[in-house]
Amino acid sequence: MAVKTVRNTCVYCGAGCQIDFTVDTDTNKIVKAVPAMGRTNQGTLCLKGHYGWDFTNDPQILSKRVTSPMIRRGGKGGKLEPCSWDEAIQFVVDNLTKIKAKYGANSIMGTASARSPGNEAVYVMQKFMRACIGTNNIDHCARI
Amino acid sequence: MTNGVHEIEDAKCILNYGYNGADSHPIVQRRIIRAKQKGAKIICADPRVVEAARIADIHLQLKGGTNLLLVYALSNVIYREKLYDEAFINERTTGWEDFVKVIDQDRYTPEAVEKTVQIPAEKIREAARMYATTKPAAILYGMGVCQFGQAVDVVKGLANLAMMTGNIGKWASGVGPVRGQNNVQGACDMGALPNNYPGYQAVTDPAVQEKFEKAWGVKLSNENGTPLTHVPEKVLNEKDPKKQLHAYWIFGEDPAQTDPDLEEVRESLRKLDLVIVQDIFMNKTAEFADVFLPATTWCEHDGVYSCCDRGFQRVRKVIEPPKGVRLDWDIISEVSTKMGYKMHYKNTEEIWDEMRKLCPNFIGATYKKMEEYGGVQWPCKSEDMDDKGTSTLHVGKFSAKDGKGKFFATEWRTPKELESEEFPYSLNTVREVGHYSCRTMTGNCRLLRSLEDEPGWIQMNKKDCEKLGIKEGEIVKVLSKRGWCMTRCLPTERMQEGATAMTYQWWIGACNELTIANLDPISNTPEYKYCAVNIKKLNDQDWAENYVKTEYRNIRSRMGIDVEAKEAK
Repeated sequence: MAVKTVRNTCVYCGAGCQIDFTVDTDTNKIVKAVPAMGRTNQGTLCLKGHYGWDFTNDPQILSKRVTSPMIRRGGKGGKLEPCSWDEAIQFVVDNLTKIKAKYGANSIMGTASARSPGNEAVYVMQKFMRACIGTNNIDHCARI
Repeated sequence: MTNGVHEIEDAKCILNYGYNGADSHPIVQRRIIRAKQKGAKIICADPRVVEAARIADIHLQLKGGTNLLLVYALSNVIYREKLYDEAFINERTTGWEDFVKVIDQDRYTPEAVEKTVQIPAEKIREAARMYATTKPAAILYGMGVCQFGQAVDVVKGLANLAMMTGNIGKWASGVGPVRGQNNVQGACDMGALPNNYPGYQAVTDPAVQEKFEKAWGVKLSNENGTPLTHVPEKVLNEKDPKKQLHAYWIFGEDPAQTDPDLEEVRESLRKLDLVIVQDIFMNKTAEFADVFLPATTWCEHDGVYSCCDRGFQRVRKVIEPPKGVRLDWDIISEVSTKMGYKMHYKNTEEIWDEMRKLCPNFIGATYKKMEEYGGVQWPCKSEDMDDKGTSTLHVGKFSAKDGKGKFFATEWRTPKELESEEFPYSLNTVREVGHYSCRTMTGNCRLLRSLEDEPGWIQMNKKDCEKLGIKEGEIVKVLSKRGWCMTRCLPTERMQEGATAMTYQWWIGACNELTIANLDPISNTPEYKYCAVNIKKLNDQDWAENYVKTEYRNIRSRMGIDVEAKEAK
């Protein structure tokens, strides 16, 4: 088994613990989490830090990892059905363009995730809402 | 936080206020324990006997919803007993006289508030003396302060305590809101706020607007946007179609599980013309999506998170993502480009460099420094490798234009929905130690999932359980004016009589069916910590157990799980 170690920041709270992941590169799976000497965690982790990576294996306990874009073809009340990325993106583009033309930029609201995606994805989302849509209707779950 | 997490253990006194680190941030809690081992005094203000209360020198077990009264009583003692730091107040602050006019009123003495706050006056005096005279003293606070209809006033009240005792701008002192989710600090830093661009630069400031217009090559709006918690109002009650919300792009969150008053949330999601969900798992919100955009998750992409003490740290790709998912920023960039505003980035460092050059407080926090030093706490104002960032804020001067700290005080008000004959108990919503937020991540981890599962628990005082004739583990029905859910009874001495608490991670024991969307007028945070409920004993427990089992199975099936195949295994 070929193994590599990659350092990462924990995704489970604001403490910012540093974790060294041992990865089996043959199977592309995480083998274990080893606490690193980060500034805030100093070689310790809580139970979520130690065991909270298993969802990346998609064990399908609670909900299923979605690996294809989906569209509700029949409209509201229809079923979400897998589609191509081109179709999904075009669906978003067409509908946002239509709504913006009909009701104006402020009729569109966007959120940015305070969880896994990270700062760069958040920056791009707020830039999109402000520069492309033309509204400051951008927020995230800090309030909740 | 005004100070670094690593400073906490050097404090001589910690006022732990509405903050249950043992459940929400176990690794931060360790610093509190280490401070205690090094001789620090611990004061814990919390309606529940949380872990911090068990190691505290003084536990101020206040009645829920009386935060501001307690904070003012502490200020009142510090003022009247002349325990304040006069030199600090004179040199570093403004607004002291107006502040004193409020907190020096007789109605804010410990003796005047003790009945409402439900803490003996002498204990409040003792805590005030301990905080004011044991230096350096640090305040750590959590959602027990923020999730009330009157929250920002209490945050300011805690800052007043720090300023009046000179406990700010120094190592191991200050005021620390310990941020809940891993990148809540980062989402704020990056300007995912309706009133700020990245770096806390106001959208209403013309000079800021001009800077961003130049950088992004487009005209920008100078009008504050809609906060997330106003969405139901803007969808359901706004009469002017031009002011209504018609489209909602929900990126990496699950409002149909985590927002207050879920029935109202569902109604809004049903009414919107377009709901875009960008996420990793099927979740409650995705049931209302018109389109679902699947993205990479933690360990599958690069980037930066901001931890609770302003620390930028690198996030790295550990494994290859599954086929079919895409990077979040790449999805958004393509939509933008196709809508006519071109966005194209090669990698996260290119995005980061564009961002930090627009933000004076972040400009020095390069990827190179994060690699070399492990992380950089902002402000970091120079790219020079010698500028390693800032652990302690407000040293020498405050960030306000005049460089001074401003005292602020207003009058206390009660939570919006108090106990009544029909709903005689108060409900406080809290966290599981082994689960995170809407639970799609931790609930899909085999080990964590085995710690706690549906339908969760309602924590209640033993005497209340006896009164209702319910035992530990029995399924009960919990009701409020807005909805109901079913969960298990947990009698515990950690709760005061008349008060209950539920964790918010469960689908069947979903406490947000009960919570109230009463918002703080400034922060727009809902009053998750207080609403009125009733608890009904269910005589047919076999029926109740079967209900939970069937319902759980149904929801998992809607979330894409092949339940039959799983059960056959």
